[in-house]
Amino acid sequence: MTDSNCANVVETRNVWKIFGDRADEALEAVRRDSLSKDEVLERFDAVVGVRDVSISAGAGEIFCIMGLSGSGKSTLVRHINRLIEPTAGEILVNGVNVGALKPEELLAMRAESIGMVFQNMALLPHRTVRDNIAFALELRNVDIFTRNNVADKVIELVSLKGYGDRYPSELSGGMQQRVGLARALAADPDILLMDEPFSALDPLIRRGLQDEFLELSASMKKTTLFITHDLDEAIRMGSRIAIMKDGEIVQTGTPEEIVTKPADDYVADFVAGISKLRLVYAHTVMINIEEFESEGSKLPAIEECPWAHPEDDLDKLIGLAVNQENPVIIMDDSTPVGVVTKDALLRGIQGET
Amino acid sequence: MSSDDDIRKPFLEFAGPNGNYYANVFLKIQKATLSRTHLNPVALVGSFVWAALRGNWLLFTIGFVIDLVAAINVALHFKFAKAAVDNVDRAYLVERYEGWSQSHIIAAVVIFILGRLLFSWLADRLYVIQYNRWRVNNSVNSGVSMARLVIVTIVSALIVPPMIYRASQFSPDARTCIKQDRAIDRGEEVSFKARFDCFAIGEFPTLFWIERPDQISFPRDENGERIVQRTPPREGSPPVNLNTLVAQKIDDGIGYVTVFYSFLFDEITRLLRTMLTVITSVFVGTPWPVTMGVLLFVAYRMAGIRTTIFVGASLIYLALFGFWQTAMDTLSLVVAASIICVVIGLPTGIWVGKSKRAQFIVTPILDVMQTIPSFVYLLPAIAFFSIGKPPGILATVIFAAPPMVRLTALGIRQVSEDTKEAALAFGANPRQLLTKVELPLALPSIMAGINQVVMMSLSMVVIAALIGAGGMGYIVTEALENTETGRGVLAGVGIALLAMMIDRVVQKANLGRR
Ligand SMILES: Nc1ncnc2c1ncn2[C@@H]1O[C@H](COP(=O)(O)OP(=O)(O)O)[C@@H](O)[C@H]1O
Ligand SMILES: [Mg+2]
Repeated sequence: MTDSNCANVVETRNVWKIFGDRADEALEAVRRDSLSKDEVLERFDAVVGVRDVSISAGAGEIFCIMGLSGSGKSTLVRHINRLIEPTAGEILVNGVNVGALKPEELLAMRAESIGMVFQNMALLPHRTVRDNIAFALELRNVDIFTRNNVADKVIELVSLKGYGDRYPSELSGGMQQRVGLARALAADPDILLMDEPFSALDPLIRRGLQDEFLELSASMKKTTLFITHDLDEAIRMGSRIAIMKDGEIVQTGTPEEIVTKPADDYVADFVAGISKLRLVYAHTVMINIEEFESEGSKLPAIEECPWAHPEDDLDKLIGLAVNQENPVIIMDDSTPVGVVTKDALLRGIQGET
Repeated sequence: MSSDDDIRKPFLEFAGPNGNYYANVFLKIQKATLSRTHLNPVALVGSFVWAALRGNWLLFTIGFVIDLVAAINVALHFKFAKAAVDNVDRAYLVERYEGWSQSHIIAAVVIFILGRLLFSWLADRLYVIQYNRWRVNNSVNSGVSMARLVIVTIVSALIVPPMIYRASQFSPDARTCIKQDRAIDRGEEVSFKARFDCFAIGEFPTLFWIERPDQISFPRDENGERIVQRTPPREGSPPVNLNTLVAQKIDDGIGYVTVFYSFLFDEITRLLRTMLTVITSVFVGTPWPVTMGVLLFVAYRMAGIRTTIFVGASLIYLALFGFWQTAMDTLSLVVAASIICVVIGLPTGIWVGKSKRAQFIVTPILDVMQTIPSFVYLLPAIAFFSIGKPPGILATVIFAAPPMVRLTALGIRQVSEDTKEAALAFGANPRQLLTKVELPLALPSIMAGINQVVMMSLSMVVIAALIGAGGMGYIVTEALENTETGRGVLAGVGIALLAMMIDRVVQKANLGRR
């Protein structure tokens, strides 16, 4: 899914953030003795927010950052538009070192190329929906006519037509977050930073907004850093997922990699409760035909077996395997490459391949 | 009944001697069966000595004070009885002193009896609290200890004799003592009793006398320039105390500034006068039908029909009783002072709201400005600006500006970090953050500040009439001087209506905005 050839739009290189008056001292000590978060707190009265994080997101990708509360997700993402200065390391946006920008350039970058959505919406209560959405444009001194036009287009995009002249307090939570999203999209930035945008919403509304955002994203192709504490959401939204713990990235990979090959017990615990039906593909659970036959089983005639592609997911395989004695044959360009037995299928659902 | 013993054991352990009595009482207290009129007989007799032995210092203080007050009244009785005898030739004094002497002996008896009853009623009820504390912390006093009697003796020895002595003597007045100090300086003999009385039982003694400082004046020299001239005090003129010295230094300082920097004050006065002239011309210079109409319209637009009716009624009151011009005069002063308060207070408030250091510097200044009685502001105002409307406005501004600063700062500080962060994330620079986010969100608080400023200005403008600011306050001061109660009451009601009118309109306008 990832296009590793395309240039990285957002990249962090060995970023550290330590909060506290003695941050530099603490950083040195952590690097030397690899202290834990608690030890740093005790010895330096400093909090490790982000710990040696290097990630990169390619153009148009939705890159999810997943972790429990306090794991440093918000802190990390605020480095991208330099709301927070790193203690060490550097951040590149479209190849430009964010830390080296002059104040004017930084403001321009925030207003024009990065949009941000917040968990608590953080709308301005004294402004109408339209004026909230046009905020970034207003800050760049775009004239009223143009920005109203742009705002109205974006309002339509997030299905809020007719609400332009309302105040945020008159809107439901879900609608407010649409305003938040619209505000981030209004300046047509290349990059979206979304800090748990849907976490405060009811499950049903969250589901709806996730789908809507996926649709929008597919057509707009904005590089998105999507933060969530919910692995389900990360899997739904992300083309790649980075899992954070105590400020560190413990694993980065596609949803399938995370689910099928958790890097450690911490990730495994997360993954344990996740449904694998749409995450695990035939090529992961199948066994080679030779191997199948060497185990003493006889392959029935291929015409009598159901067949599937290597990229089909477990959900599809289950559909083929019910009411069927024979195993599913996996065909790649009309040559059989593997077999999925019912045992393998069940193991696959369980997550053990 | 071993379980009963178990229950009583901690009580016995705590109380020590006479433990059974306390065990019974404490049990009754815990079961809420203690009689309402229960008294501790030992405490009734022993009073503070009992409390001291038991180590309960609260009860000790209560008992000690009761007995001391009774004793002092006895001493007073004897003092006035003796005075009656001493002044036997003056009948009216004898009558007065005998009356006092009698009432003090009655007071002594009543206080002693009621006090002892109260004490013994409180005794067990407070002692059980000590027991509860002792259960938690075993180092709390328990049992009976003779060692504590030593403390009682020392405290009594230190307090009782001077108190009784003070009560039995007429205290010397301050002037007598000053004379006596000088006599001692000249080397005259003064009896020990007289010296002791001045030291211990009158006004706090003047510990040190300071040589009288030079008199300072600012005459003109031959070129007409002002100069500083020091005149040493006359030979043999008496020394002064601290108060006189510092007061004179302050006077000298103010005198110096007013003489050599008068241009500064003249300039400020001129500015204020100009501003006031403009505002007054609006309020006073406009014929009353126009002003009244405009005021009613403004009230209607800002606060709705009900408030407008109230405003209309108030205006009619002012007009019918002949206060129209004076009320408009007062309003002009209020508006001028409020404008200055806002112009100064808003930026200061923003600064205080944003900077911890500014808060650290300005808050104590505001505290002082608000605690000093408003009358005191009149003095420096007169000193620097003489009398009239401009110093009145200045005193008003000093008095009314603090809430503007405070509430603006509060509003700015209340803006949530999240909202500010969002604005920054979209590229707001500091100025945009202030004008597009912080100030709009702080507006309700700022408006509350303006409301306060207007109300406080009004109350101060009335007081400022004392230094010639005129307006409604002037009628009241005049009425006060000539004891014209009726006029004063009418003007007072007028001021109250004026205040309520402004308050209603500004507040309603505020609410509407939210
Ligand atoms: N301004 C700050 N000062 C001190 N510590 C902070 C600050 N911001 C965040 N932290 C700490 O950094 C850690 C990561 O916080 P955060 O990035 O908000 O986590 P998340 O968004 O994953 O819940 C937490 O331990 C938090 O207490
Ligand atoms: Mg967070």
